[in-house]
Amino acid sequence: MAAAWKLLGTGMGFLQSSLPAYRSSLGVVEQVRSYYVDWRMVRDVKRRQMAFEYADTRLRINAIRKNTILPKELQEIADKEIAALPRDSCPVRIRNRCVMTSRPRGVKRRWRLSRIVFRHLADHNQMSGIQRSMW
Amino acid sequence: MRVAIMYKRLLNIYQVRNGLIHTQNTRLPSTKCKEKERVAPVIWTMGGARPLGTSSIFFSENKESSTSLSEDNEKRPEENEANAEVNNDGQKNTKINEGNNISNAMLTSQLETEPVVKLEDSKKFDKTKTGKESLLELLGAMKVEVTTIRKIRPPKFPRVSERPDPKPMESVQSMFQHATAEVSQQHETLIPTLVAAASAAASTLPNRRQAESELLQQLRKHEAIPDTQRRADGQNIGDIISDMKVGKKQNGRSNARPSSQIRFDEDGQGYTQDRGITGELDAVRTRKSPFTSKRLNIFNAGAEQDSLSDLGPTLWDIDLANQIVQATNQTPRNGFEEMIQWTKEGKLWQYPINNEAGLEDEASVPFHEHVFLEKHLDESFPRQGPVRHFMELVITGLAKNHHLTVQQKQEHIAWFRDYFQQKDNVLKEAEA
Repeated sequence: MAAAWKLLGTGMGFLQSSLPAYRSSLGVVEQVRSYYVDWRMVRDVKRRQMAFEYADTRLRINAIRKNTILPKELQEIADKEIAALPRDSCPVRIRNRCVMTSRPRGVKRRWRLSRIVFRHLADHNQMSGIQRSMW
Repeated sequence: MRVAIMYKRLLNIYQVRNGLIHTQNTRLPSTKCKEKERVAPVIWTMGGARPLGTSSIFFSENKESSTSLSEDNEKRPEENEANAEVNNDGQKNTKINEGNNISNAMLTSQLETEPVVKLEDSKKFDKTKTGKESLLELLGAMKVEVTTIRKIRPPKFPRVSERPDPKPMESVQSMFQHATAEVSQQHETLIPTLVAAASAAASTLPNRRQAESELLQQLRKHEAIPDTQRRADGQNIGDIISDMKVGKKQNGRSNARPSSQIRFDEDGQGYTQDRGITGELDAVRTRKSPFTSKRLNIFNAGAEQDSLSDLGPTLWDIDLANQIVQATNQTPRNGFEEMIQWTKEGKLWQYPINNEAGLEDEASVPFHEHVFLEKHLDESFPRQGPVRHFMELVITGLAKNHHLTVQQKQEHIAWFRDYFQQKDNVLKEAEA
C-alpha cells in the first residue's frame, strides 16, 4: 500500500492517463491517438529506431571508408561490412512524414505537420504565434 | 487487604486515644450517631486523658477494642441485656470514670482476665463517637481500588443509606440471641481482635447483623486462604473460567426427519418441498471462522513484512496506483496543469531552458579527460603508420566534440582498437 502511494507520487501511475473523450480546458475534444495512422508510419517508426541503434557503428565504419590514410584493402572490407548491416539501419530510408496524417509530402519540418493539417490548426487558432499573413 | 484495613483502623483508634490525632467534634457520622452525640464530650475527656505506656500493640489493641466495647455498653443506659457481661466492663468503666490516670498494669490485668469469647459475644449497637469518627477517617483515607478486574467478592460494606435505622430499638434479647447463634459457629478460628474490629465496623452500618456476619465470613475466608493466593484473584477467575466447558448450541439436527415423511406447510394445506441438508449446512457455516477464534501465536506476525518492503513496488501496487489514478480523475483543469503533466512525463522541456538537461553527471568530469585522449592510444595501437595517423585524427575530432560524454569517447576509441586488432593481417598484407 505504501509502495502504491510512492508510485503515485513519482508520477508512474499515469499509465492510462489518456482517457477517451478527453476534454481539455478549452472545450475542444482532442483526438485520441493510441495507434499509428497507417502501416507506413509504423515502418517509418521501425526504421528510425533501428537507425538509432546502428548509428555509432555506421559512423565508425564510414570513418574508415571515407579515408585517404588507411589502405584501400581495409576500406573495401569496411564497405562490405557496412553493406551487411540491415537495410533499415541506414538513416536515409527515414521519411519525415506528417505526424497527424502520415502524409509523406508537403510536411513542414518545424511543426512536423503536413500543409493541410497546419492550415487547419492555424485557422482554428491552435498554433501559437501563427497568424494569417497579409502585406 | 481487609485485615490490614482493620488493623489500621485499630491503630488509628489507638492513636486517637493517645491524643496524637486531633479530631474535631464536628466530624460526626451522618444520622445514626444521635445517641453518640450525647456522650461525645464525655468520651472525649476520657479518651484524651488516658495515658498509655509501654504495653505492646497487641495488648493495646485488645484494650482498645475492649474499652471501646465497654464504653459503648456503658453509654447506653437503656441497654439492659448485657448486664452480666457488662459487669466486667462496667467495673473497668467505673474505674475509668473515677480516675483519668489508670495504670497500665491494671488495664492489662483486666484484659487478661477478660475471656476472649466476650469480645465476640458482646454486641455493640452503637459505637462510641471516637471509634466511629476514627473509622470514618480511616474510610476516608482508604485508597479506592480502581481496577476493572471484577473480583468475586460480595460487597463487604453495604451502602450507607441516608435514611435512619428502620428499627433502632430492636428488642435486645432477640439481638442477643442472634448474636450468640451466629458467633458461636464462627468463633473457633478467628483472631479475636479482628472479630472485634469487624463487629465495630459493622456497627456503623445500617444492617448490623448482616454486615457483621459478612465481615466475619470474610475474615474466615481470609484466614483460610494464605496471602499468596489472595493476590492471584484474577488468576483464580481465569482458572475457574478455563475449567468451565463451553456449552455448544445443540442445533445441528433439529430438523432431522425422515425424508419420506410428508411435511405440511404452515396452514396445513400444501406440502413443503424437500430442502435437502441446506439447513444443517447453514448451522455448520455459522460456526466461528478461523479468523475469529483465538490466536495461536505459532508464527511471528511482523517477521514477513520486512522482507516484502525491500522488494519495491509489486504488481499489485502498480495496479492499485492505476486504479487510484483512474478513480481520482487527475485530468488537468487548465493549460498550466497540462504543461506540468507533460513536464513530468518528459514531453516538455524544463524552463528555463537548460542546454545540459540530461547531462548533469558530466559537469563533474574534469576537462582534461575530454581533451587529452592520447593516453588511450598508447595501448595496443601501433606507434607509427597509417593506423596511428588515423587514430590521432579521431582523437582530435573527439576532443573538439562538445556533445559527447567521456564515456562515449572512450567507447569510440575502444571500438577502433578492437577493429584494428581484428584486421591486423589485412594491414600487414597491405604494408607488404
